[in-house]
Amino acid sequence: MAVAMKDSPDGQYKRLLDALPCYVTLLDRNLTVLWSNNSCRRDFGPPAGKRCYEFYRIGNARCPDCLAKKTFTDAEIHSSEMMLRSDDGTRVNVLVYTSPVCDDKGKIRSVLETAVNITSVKDIQKQLILLGQTVAGMAHSMKNIMMGLEGGIYVVNKGLEDKKPDEVKEGWEMVLLNFEKISQIVKDILYCSKEREPNLQKIKPNAVVTEVYNLFKGLAASYAIVIKLDLDDKIKKAVIDPDGLHTVLSNLVTNAMDACKIDLWKDEHLVEMRTRRGRNGSTIIEVADNGIGIDKDVREHVFEDFFTSKGDKGTGLGLMVTQKILREHGGSITFRSRPGQGTTFVATFPPKTRPNAAHG
Amino acid sequence: MPKKILVIDDEPHVVKYLTIFLQDCGYETCCAADGLEGFEVLKKEKPDLVTLDLQMPNETGTRFYRNMMKNKEFKDVPVIVVSGIPGRHLAVSKPIAVFEKPIDRDALLETIRKTIGW
Repeated sequence: MAVAMKDSPDGQYKRLLDALPCYVTLLDRNLTVLWSNNSCRRDFGPPAGKRCYEFYRIGNARCPDCLAKKTFTDAEIHSSEMMLRSDDGTRVNVLVYTSPVCDDKGKIRSVLETAVNITSVKDIQKQLILLGQTVAGMAHSMKNIMMGLEGGIYVVNKGLEDKKPDEVKEGWEMVLLNFEKISQIVKDILYCSKEREPNLQKIKPNAVVTEVYNLFKGLAASYAIVIKLDLDDKIKKAVIDPDGLHTVLSNLVTNAMDACKIDLWKDEHLVEMRTRRGRNGSTIIEVADNGIGIDKDVREHVFEDFFTSKGDKGTGLGLMVTQKILREHGGSITFRSRPGQGTTFVATFPPKTRPNAAHG
Repeated sequence: MPKKILVIDDEPHVVKYLTIFLQDCGYETCCAADGLEGFEVLKKEKPDLVTLDLQMPNETGTRFYRNMMKNKEFKDVPVIVVSGIPGRHLAVSKPIAVFEKPIDRDALLETIRKTIGW
């Protein structure tokens, strides 16, 4: 204990170290924490004779690549990134430096460990990595779309050459569909890129649902998927951004169809678009499918930015944009799903929309 | 007798494009939307060459290829991989060629002609 007292800073130096906006600890050769500054005690509690790895909740034994040990051996400064757990269990990413503290004879008495909290930097880094992967993913989906466009053009030309109107029509549909896909991606990107006020208008939600239904039923049929409408006639008008609703529906129906496409176990696939009035006068729009369902691992990531479970065929933008639109309307989106059975997404638009209510 | 090519892709439009193009070049074609169906068609039609999309749901593309290579009758049928992701062909050990989407159709035709002739 005498050593600890002697090695601990006091007076003005103690106040300086306490004022530093980073975690400072002093360690002896056994990695026991001799002293810790204010920031440390606030986030990690009292050191109470703990070892460094116990104090920072890294594990039960010394880190395989212990920086303090290195500094005790070579008297050099060492640094590394580490993950700690604070008193209340939250993750803290830090950049750690260990530097030697010598006595008058130049003998290393202890090691000063300084850790800078870089949790927010790490989180931004994670977002940037995701963004990068998303852009790459987008390039891949563009490739698929380009292939579709090229194919459509080829089929149209061939049809014209052979004077086969059926073939021209078929090729033209390929062109239109892929054009629609590319505009959707561009719209999604624009939607994500800035905060925007929804363009609220009095509209007939059932009409927009029917419009999207007409847009997709042909495509669905080519994958042997049946789309059904189940509209509540009691819904006359609602205050909703029509483009926003259109985007929400297109994204949900596209997802529902994808869920059916990769499901190989059912003979008949069905996507149902429903509208109904909520109890408090809200407008509820549901898109249900009997596709593959969402399994446990994917469930928690569904609304995460840029998350996709579709490999190179998804961008991770769809549900992110969908959620953003609902939020801007002061509404919400939820889902229920049974793996192997199907999924239902429920979008709720509040009765009298309060723009940006969620941002409040 | 024209040579026969089996086109396997889960995108109906890609299938349409490739089959029309190949027919145009004088080949007979048959097609399948996934690896399972692909294997059925393979057994029935006995094609001279297969174009295979690897990015199909449930890895049926890769599984189709493995099953085909294990089968004495079909293991020497040449396979051309059509892929959206560069480098993914490594999942398949010895394709004749790998084409990235969007396909360079003239290069595809040249490869096919070199491999199975007209």
